[in-house]
Amino acid sequence: MPDRVSVRVPDPAAALRAAVSDEDTTSRERFLQRAIVAGGALVAGGVIIGGLPRLAASAQSPEQDVEIFNFALLLEYTQAAFYNETVERAELTGELFEFAKVVANHERAHVDYLLEALGAEAREEPVTDFGNATSDPDAFGAAAVTLEDVAVAAYNGQAANLTSGALQAAATIISVDARHAAWVRSIIGEPPAADAVDAPLTAEEATARLDETGFLQEARR
Amino acid sequence: MTLHDFTDLRLDDLDRDGALRQAADDLEPTSRAGFLTIVAGGAAAAAALVRPSIASAALARTDVAILNYALTLEYLQDAFYTEAERKGALSGPTARLAGVVGAVERAHVKALRDVLGKQAVKRPFFDFRGVTEDPAGFTRTAVAFEDLGTAAYKGQAHRIKSPEVLAAAVGIHSVEARHAAWIRYIAGVPPAAEPFDQPKTVKETLQLVRATRFVVARPRTRSKRRPRFTG
Repeated sequence: MPDRVSVRVPDPAAALRAAVSDEDTTSRERFLQRAIVAGGALVAGGVIIGGLPRLAASAQSPEQDVEIFNFALLLEYTQAAFYNETVERAELTGELFEFAKVVANHERAHVDYLLEALGAEAREEPVTDFGNATSDPDAFGAAAVTLEDVAVAAYNGQAANLTSGALQAAATIISVDARHAAWVRSIIGEPPAADAVDAPLTAEEATARLDETGFLQEARR
Repeated sequence: MTLHDFTDLRLDDLDRDGALRQAADDLEPTSRAGFLTIVAGGAAAAAALVRPSIASAALARTDVAILNYALTLEYLQDAFYTEAERKGALSGPTARLAGVVGAVERAHVKALRDVLGKQAVKRPFFDFRGVTEDPAGFTRTAVAFEDLGTAAYKGQAHRIKSPEVLAAAVGIHSVEARHAAWIRYIAGVPPAAEPFDQPKTVKETLQLVRATRFVVARPRTRSKRRPRFTG
């Protein structure tokens, strides 16, 4: 069975973009807007977090899995702290508070899973400051959308860099974060699924987006 | 409400040209026996996958199989939402979802067909048995389809060899999960019920599809008009 051959594989991402532009120009415009926003964040951000792994497309290896899982752990730690603080402050009400309670448990489970997978290699928990985002409904909704969307895009961006087993494990988390994103977007009246395909973020782009929130005071290895 | 309750449903023919049977055999040899009971009359053209076309000759055989498996599920979703939108029986948030998600599923079909070229499986024939005209039936079916799509992509992503195909597949996987949460929110059931989403094998997925009886051997219609959503 041929594994890889030298002929260039058709680019599904390009085909998807073309298909989307045929089907629905508004979602393509959103896609482009998003790309522009992501580009801006890339230029502006990336200052606070020093010790992040440099994740480039390269050969898959267990060592690289550790780096990527540690990056995922930073995202999950941040989400878990965010929802946990929201539940403890108990200033939100209604659907948003119900959402926060359920998702706090999920993110804690994701952290626990990654801690177990990483063992002694696990990074430390970051120091966070969420300001009024854990008490003000509008600030909470916007922050939750950002944290969930960035997590999905960051995981998706690392899929090809993970070994098969690690990807299998990560995929059980990715779609749950995507569900969270669509859920909170539904509550606050944002499009739950704006694009035909979720655009990935590189580690640098995801870091910049996270950095932009100002939630991370310190993130040590 | 039991969201996965398809016990009154069954599949007649998923595989018009036999290509999907070959795909399942490539992916999961053990699922072939179950597949053969699904396929009614599609024995003729199983060679389609074995003869690589020029357009997609660069894809590994297992990647072609996975893409055709995905395409079959996208055909199902595409036809379902498109028919629901055209029947016009939905309203409010459910109608908006059907319009948006239908456009996305059509985009997925087009993209997968573009990538597969001549190796793409044919569009099956569908009969949705009235659920596209019944808001409660539509919602229940949409939840099941989107949860199933998410679990099916999840079951195959780690086996994909081409980085480009993988990038597209994971990007679609998380969109299917968004759709699932969205329709669940509308239906008033938990959008994210568990901290980890489990994958489904080809066999499990095909059993569920078969149970729906939405895929039929040939175009059928209860009205005098010609069927509109057949390949």
